[in-house]
Amino acid sequence: MSHARHRVGAWIGWAFFADLASALALTFGYMFSRSVTMQYPDKEKWLPYPRYRGHHFLTRDEKGEIKCVACELCARICPCDCIEVIPYEDEKGNRHPAKFEIDMARCLFCGLCEDACPADAIALGQQYEFSSFSSSDLVVGRDDLLGKPGKARTGGGVVAARLNTEQDVLVETSEPQGYNWWRNIRRT
Amino acid sequence: MELIVALGLIVLKVALLIAILLLLPLPLTWLERKIAGHIQQRMGPMRVGWHGLLQPVADGIKLLTKEDHIPDDADRFLFKLAPILALAPPFVVFVAIPFGETVSVLGTEITLYVSNMNVALLFVFAVIGIEVYGVIFGGWAANSKYAVLGSLRTCAQMISYEIPMGFAVIGVVMLAQSMSLLEIVRAQADVWNIVYQPVGFFVFFVAGLAEAQRIPFDLAEAEGDLGAGFHTEYSGIRFAFFMVSEYAIVFLVSVLTVILFFGGWNGVLVPLPPLLWLLLKVAFFVYLFIWFRFTFPRYRYDQLMAIGWKVLLPLSMANIIITGIVFS
Repeated sequence: MSHARHRVGAWIGWAFFADLASALALTFGYMFSRSVTMQYPDKEKWLPYPRYRGHHFLTRDEKGEIKCVACELCARICPCDCIEVIPYEDEKGNRHPAKFEIDMARCLFCGLCEDACPADAIALGQQYEFSSFSSSDLVVGRDDLLGKPGKARTGGGVVAARLNTEQDVLVETSEPQGYNWWRNIRRT
Repeated sequence: MELIVALGLIVLKVALLIAILLLLPLPLTWLERKIAGHIQQRMGPMRVGWHGLLQPVADGIKLLTKEDHIPDDADRFLFKLAPILALAPPFVVFVAIPFGETVSVLGTEITLYVSNMNVALLFVFAVIGIEVYGVIFGGWAANSKYAVLGSLRTCAQMISYEIPMGFAVIGVVMLAQSMSLLEIVRAQADVWNIVYQPVGFFVFFVAGLAEAQRIPFDLAEAEGDLGAGFHTEYSGIRFAFFMVSEYAIVFLVSVLTVILFFGGWNGVLVPLPPLLWLLLKVAFFVYLFIWFRFTFPRYRYDQLMAIGWKVLLPLSMANIIITGIVFS
């Protein structure tokens, strides 16, 4: 009996396009839900996690001396041969790089240099915005590498982006769990 | 003197109509992209102007400055003729379409229509039928498989959906005892036709969707299987012509639906200016077109033909018979 009634209901629904109407109701609901877009160059910008491999940076020890000992292991292990190191010896007999150049245009961001480094001097940081109009600008020297930002601490947060001109913009400081991508996704 | 004033008025109205129709795609494309974006939880255009309001202008400039490419083996004459043939009928149709009774400007009563034909409805259907030539010439002249397949589909679709569309409005004509759109609206002053003609409205609107080649009936330009359908080979300003014609037809079908079934500029409850009432209703139907587009999937070709000939045509016939029996 109930089965027959169900079938009659289904036929009535079919005749009056119940399925199409429910589809329309669903999309109408979606239209007024918050969008998940991150307006990257204009407003917000995503912060990478600590494991992210971005632009290289060179570190200093606590005395402010460059940690690199110019052993050239990074240059050896580099699969695309993009690191060039020329060492020198200071008056105390410590080796340091006189020239430390990374060709970012050739680098494939594998992180092997970071793994090979015996002095923890080179690592791949969080910076990912370094596009340029000429590939010669992408050859980065020692002093620039020393000034680059390090690894992200928490990561996954959202901050104001470079092109942002408005003050009152959505800035989410780094949440402990990182940016919740599913926050605005409507799930029914 | 009076003749010159009347003539000038007509020229002015026609110029205004052409300007409005040519500029109509600007807000409509913006609206369509915005609605599409928000339905899909995106934002749509945001970068050019406030919330991307100037995006259509930028797109227009882009289309104007792009290369106007004509394929090597194309039939050059038909290739150039087709966009104009597709563009002209939707513009010509609006000569017969009233947007209201009269408004008084500077003490003179000005009618809100270019001409009050006594066979306006027939004129509309006759002229809109010509649009299929633009589509089929465009597809044929481009000498491309996709374009020919697309225009073949469009041709079959338009011809088979014009029949139920024509039958669907006969019920309205029977109620109003006139084919003049002005008389049809006047006859709906108390009760809108949708009350007496729900089936007629349904058939007309579905056929209108097919006529405007919108989803779920946009087989002619099914992106997945035909590239872009009949205008695959068009670029630059000629492509823009097809786009303008498409949006003009969306607008036309919305206006016709409102005039025939939803009381035209007759309002209910809220006393707004008649023209505003008409525009509000038309805006709702234009929104419905866009809403449908981002909700429904596309029908298969045989399903499209089955709906046209096996569902809509018998429904519209039954509608005529029942209307005839009840109102005689």
